Amino acid sequence: MGIEPDRLQFSWVSSAEATKFVQVATEVTLAIKDLGPNKNLVKTMPKVA
Amino acid sequence: MKIVQINKENWTDGLKKLSEIYRLFGPVKEDDFHNFKELEQGQLPDLNCLNTRLSPKSIIYPQSEVMFEYTLDENQKDHHILKEVKKDYSPQAVIGIRPCDAKAFALVRLNFDTPEHQDPYWLKAYEATTLVGLACESPCSSCFCTTAGCGPYHEEELDLLLIDSGDQYWAKIITDKGKVFLKAAGWTQTVDEKTALKEIKAKKQAAEDKICSTVNTDKLREIETNELYNAPFWEEVSFSCINCGTCTYVCPTCWCFDIQDENLGSSGCRMRNWDSCMYPLFTAHGSGHNPRDTKLHRVRQRFMHKLKYYVDKYDTGIQCVGCGRCVRLCPVNIDIRRVCELMNSHAVMTD
Amino acid sequence: MLSYIDKIKEISIRLLKECRVEMVIGFRKGTVPMMNEPHFAKSPEDVENFVWDSNCGINLCNYFTNRGEKIGILAKGCDSRNIVTHIIENKIKRDQLVIIGVPCKGMIDKRKISAMFEGEIGEVIENENNITVKGDGFEKNLNKKDVLQQNCAICIHRNPVIHDELVGELVEEQIDVDRYEDVREIEALPPQEKATYFEKLLEPCIRCYACRNACPLCYCPTCFTDESRPQWVGKGQDPTDVSTFHFLRAYHCAGRCTDCGACERSCPVGINMRVFTKKLEKDCLELFEWEAGLDPDVRPPLDTYRPGDPDEFIK
Repeated sequence: MGIEPDRLQFSWVSSAEATKFVQVATEVTLAIKDLGPNKNLVKTMPKVA
Repeated sequence: MKIVQINKENWTDGLKKLSEIYRLFGPVKEDDFHNFKELEQGQLPDLNCLNTRLSPKSIIYPQSEVMFEYTLDENQKDHHILKEVKKDYSPQAVIGIRPCDAKAFALVRLNFDTPEHQDPYWLKAYEATTLVGLACESPCSSCFCTTAGCGPYHEEELDLLLIDSGDQYWAKIITDKGKVFLKAAGWTQTVDEKTALKEIKAKKQAAEDKICSTVNTDKLREIETNELYNAPFWEEVSFSCINCGTCTYVCPTCWCFDIQDENLGSSGCRMRNWDSCMYPLFTAHGSGHNPRDTKLHRVRQRFMHKLKYYVDKYDTGIQCVGCGRCVRLCPVNIDIRRVCELMNSHAVMTD
Repeated sequence: MLSYIDKIKEISIRLLKECRVEMVIGFRKGTVPMMNEPHFAKSPEDVENFVWDSNCGINLCNYFTNRGEKIGILAKGCDSRNIVTHIIENKIKRDQLVIIGVPCKGMIDKRKISAMFEGEIGEVIENENNITVKGDGFEKNLNKKDVLQQNCAICIHRNPVIHDELVGELVEEQIDVDRYEDVREIEALPPQEKATYFEKLLEPCIRCYACRNACPLCYCPTCFTDESRPQWVGKGQDPTDVSTFHFLRAYHCAGRCTDCGACERSCPVGINMRVFTKKLEKDCLELFEWEAGLDPDVRPPLDTYRPGDPDEFIK
């Protein structure tokens, strides 16, 4: 759809896997920060007449 | 009444001068069809098209229009106040609008400019617009303007009427706005009025003779509304309708809209969008009741509105200019000409 | 294909006379070139209005939704698969329908043909393999195969997969057809170019919802675009809203779309929105080995969990 592959990630994390949760959250946040703000499909005030 | 000659060769010079005063709109080819678009510097309107796919009503009445904006952020000094959005109502000119589309503005104006209510957005845009019409030399087979209250050379609502005569356009001045437009372009060379008018009359007749599609509307006013409302043919007419909004959106005389607010965090705007009576939610009440919740109700409503209620209310003819767009673009080929015949001849049957 | 009409009329009259159905849904001749109008017949006299030619592209499955009576319906290959999908989704009962199967060699593309000529087309006369297009100052013969609708040209299910009656002999199925060439081209683009491609594709959209309403799968009583509490998608012409509508609609059709082409055919501004549904069709085929609407007894993949479902994308 024109969204970079690393911006959307899936992961199974159980509530008992705290370490994994921290790891996944940190990795994904860093990956997205690298990509920069999303400019695609962002809804702001309507761009109309 | 004067007739000014515009040589097609120095057309561009005039347009350049005009673009300094007016925002110019004209038919532009996009992919396989034409639409009215704002002309860029040096871009010429393509006056060789039969008619545009979408009507030019969006120039005066945009499909989505922001009316007000507001912020709830108490740090801003104008918080919690609905502010009008700045709009551009500087002079604009539509070049190459067909007489049917121009007449449609007259029909729509009856709705937006009444003694009790005036729609400020529509009216301001309308008053800022100069309509430079282009007479039709070869109407389409789905055009039925002559029996819908106008015609290929009809002048209602136009400020100028351009008539193509070979290597020049004759511009018939109809209003003062038209005069101002011609002066701004530097098009001042006139032609001999008598000969020109004679030829225009002949061309007009020739164009009107080419129209092969007609509707009969003579009985619509006198028949009783309930007779038409309860007529048996609606089931057959409405069966194929898929209740999309195509007919209403391409129609130059349709005017319905929906107002809603869009919020984003602590700020928002109030906008209006075109709405269609074909949509199931169009008449959904807050209570949950929907008086037109079946397809038959909605299809019947559309044709009754265009061909009966409008006729009764305003007594100026049907709410249709015969442009033929709905006929050509309906995905299931529901034909307003056929329905008009059914309605008009239903009158005859029950007389 | 043109000879089907006699059989269609014969079958319809028989079904109505025997009271096996209360109405038969077919097409009658349109009022403009290359168009036919969906029409119902409730008596043998009405059946006389039926026509069948290469302009019968609208999917008739739209018309039996929420009807209680017994209905006879004309169904091409793609339409029959939609009927199967409706049965799977409990939208209609199998015994409510008498399916009149029509083996199909493809419908012609009205837009493509109009774009080939400068002036207005006045008449299109059809023969078995070609059509004659007549207009203001021109007349041309075209081979039907060259002007088929995009989805018909790559169709691999031309015969009805389910039917009670058949109006003609089964036609040969096309094999060795690359259905996803255009999808792969778009998949290969980098994200920003993809975004630009879709922006340009959807720019003419006027939110008329003809695509949604022509689609037999879009039968939700309240479409997600009409929801207002909360409002998922804006109703205006903001490009983000327009894209969201098209993407989400395609997702709702994932695993169900049979590529009947009704959406593209009905679009008044000629948008090729089938690229979205075809991408999802390709994904379903590759991920779940699933093709929509082939067997009324098999649950679709988005309905069921199988242990072998692909999950390499989950870390």
